[in-house]
Amino acid sequence: MFGWTGTILRVDLTKGEVTREATDPQLARDYLGARGLGGHIVSTEVDPTTDALGPDNKIVFAPGPLTGTFAPAAGRFNVVTKGPLNGVLAASNSGGTFGPELKYAGYDALVIEGKAAKPVYLWIRDHEVEIRDAAAVWGHNTPDTTDLVRAETDEDAKVSCIGPAGEHLSLISNIMNEMHRAAGRTGVGAVMGAKNLKAVAVFGSGPVKVADPEGFKAAVMKARQMIQAHPVGGTGLKAYGTDVLVNILNQTGALPTRNYQDGYFPTADKTGGESLAAKQLVRPKGCFSCIISCGRVSKVDNPAYAGYGEGPEYESAWSFGADCGIDDLDAITKANFLCNEYGLDTISLGSTIACAMELFERGIITTKDTDGVDLHFGNTAAMVEMVRKAGEGEGFGVKLAQGSYRLAESYGHPEFSMTVKKQEMPAYDPRGVQGIGLNYATGNRGGCHVRGYTIAIEVLQNGAVMDPHVTEGKAGLDITFQDLTAALDSSGACLFATFGIGGAELTEMLAALTGLDYTLDEFMLIGARIWNQERLWNLKAGFTKADDTLPERLLTEPIKTGPSKGEVNHLDQMLPEYYGLRGWDEDGVPTKAKLKELTL
Amino acid sequence: MSDFVGAGRHEPPGASPRGARGMTVKYFATIRTYTGETGRHLDDAPADLRELLTTLAGRYGTSFRRAVFSGGELSGEIIILVNGRNVRYLQGLDTPLAADDEVSIFPMVAGG
Repeated sequence: MFGWTGTILRVDLTKGEVTREATDPQLARDYLGARGLGGHIVSTEVDPTTDALGPDNKIVFAPGPLTGTFAPAAGRFNVVTKGPLNGVLAASNSGGTFGPELKYAGYDALVIEGKAAKPVYLWIRDHEVEIRDAAAVWGHNTPDTTDLVRAETDEDAKVSCIGPAGEHLSLISNIMNEMHRAAGRTGVGAVMGAKNLKAVAVFGSGPVKVADPEGFKAAVMKARQMIQAHPVGGTGLKAYGTDVLVNILNQTGALPTRNYQDGYFPTADKTGGESLAAKQLVRPKGCFSCIISCGRVSKVDNPAYAGYGEGPEYESAWSFGADCGIDDLDAITKANFLCNEYGLDTISLGSTIACAMELFERGIITTKDTDGVDLHFGNTAAMVEMVRKAGEGEGFGVKLAQGSYRLAESYGHPEFSMTVKKQEMPAYDPRGVQGIGLNYATGNRGGCHVRGYTIAIEVLQNGAVMDPHVTEGKAGLDITFQDLTAALDSSGACLFATFGIGGAELTEMLAALTGLDYTLDEFMLIGARIWNQERLWNLKAGFTKADDTLPERLLTEPIKTGPSKGEVNHLDQMLPEYYGLRGWDEDGVPTKAKLKELTL
Repeated sequence: MSDFVGAGRHEPPGASPRGARGMTVKYFATIRTYTGETGRHLDDAPADLRELLTTLAGRYGTSFRRAVFSGGELSGEIIILVNGRNVRYLQGLDTPLAADDEVSIFPMVAGG
């Protein structure tokens, strides 16, 4: 095989067994890798109704065919499992360098099953695989864990690990790699914690075989040039990072504010990418084979929040910022650093703290619940303290670490949880941008922006434009973005490559790499197949049409101030068309004809 | 369909109360490197966006002009909001301006 290694590594932690099997060439062609291939493994091997934190759940680390090549931004891998936050078929996409290293070690996927009797970590050096005692690293944060594991293995090993949050089975815990890059959303860190698996360290020395080296080189160089010539992929993201979005979303009136009670935050500029570049930026940073460098190496000098690390991304600047009524960038960045160290999802935790702040202001909870902390919106020190408590699993932090749905429900008010399918929504208010609301509602892993980033068209004018306030055409737009993203995620490329190239260029690189006659039509069909694979599994897990919705607030409570004042989301005008275009019946179930078309 | 389809203009955002200080123009990202400031208030509002941008290009010079205009038309790599509405859904360079409008000027930006 070209592009794929041809081998899947399987580790049974209960039995302590390591086995290998051949990658099925047809499955590789039909699902590519990463999210698609990993999703196929989980969907065929894990009972959708199983306990996500039980030994019968499996967790898959999978790069894609492009991963580890010199294609632009081809450093991605996915962690696929049943997500404990909400029970969906979860796929968490991460950059860094871990994915390429797993590929160089010779694996299209690492499948981990069972549960170790005591804390362990995996050490993979090409064909040598060891299950090692993790007693010395259990309890440490993610940077220390990374250093300790490297000291015991190889200083050049790439390490994915959980922090204390994953060990405590926080339902919003991440898996961190290279200390600062996260496989986040849906609480995948807790799956490792439940398996007593602290880390996976890998060192690889093998190649990625290319079918048509000259053709691949030409396709890659064309793609690189297109990204470098693009105002965003070439220069914009490097200069300001993703946090540059704070101002344009705010000026559009779609920056969720104070737990989505509003869509405009007057002092948002203090938290944007321009302020970050002026105050905290040490240098931009890219992942493996990246020519975009959206990452931020940052330093906070303010003694109250001093620290050094990476971030914040736009989502984190929003969740700990406007969503909590906070405009202190030093505190926001500190909260981000702490989340990376504890292994916590910044979107979910920031939104959960915002939810707690609303519960506090409404008198539903008091200082008796919050360990004596005043949790009014805008209380900067309280926000950072809540992050620490959630990471440590201390006091009120135990509730925060389970996400906003369980927090609000425990006090009898789930309506104040800004979640879809129990997962916190990110930083785009669906009342100000209609299409992203449909994307959240139909998202296979719950509230999520990177499953169908319609913001690119509805707000950012990237390649085409559609009015954010209209509903017409948004169903088709969402489906195109969802399918394209599913295929892209599975290829091993970064979503941000699309700020410069599209499906055609990705297809061209894949064809030259693998030697298979991929076309753009097949690439999009692969995306649709993966989307429907996830949908089918979720339906078997118990999800229904009723879960394809938004918090009532977004459907009935208009934005109060700013440019989108008076707007609500009109999901009811988009969802039936979406089901129809998807080839699903009126209950949101894929029809037999659609499944046949997708060979599912 | 949203009630705002076809309605076009919106009220200015809350940060610049109607009638408080005249028209507000805000700059973001690389536009700030061309202007050397984050924004300004204009006592006398230009009649439309074309007049505003022409006036600003005269003040800030070639880099700003090249960022906003392309062959006399609005550059495809600039995003301009009037009271939060992209002018591509209004009347482009012919979008009329009022004394208390807020105009936001962005280069192409993205993230996620």
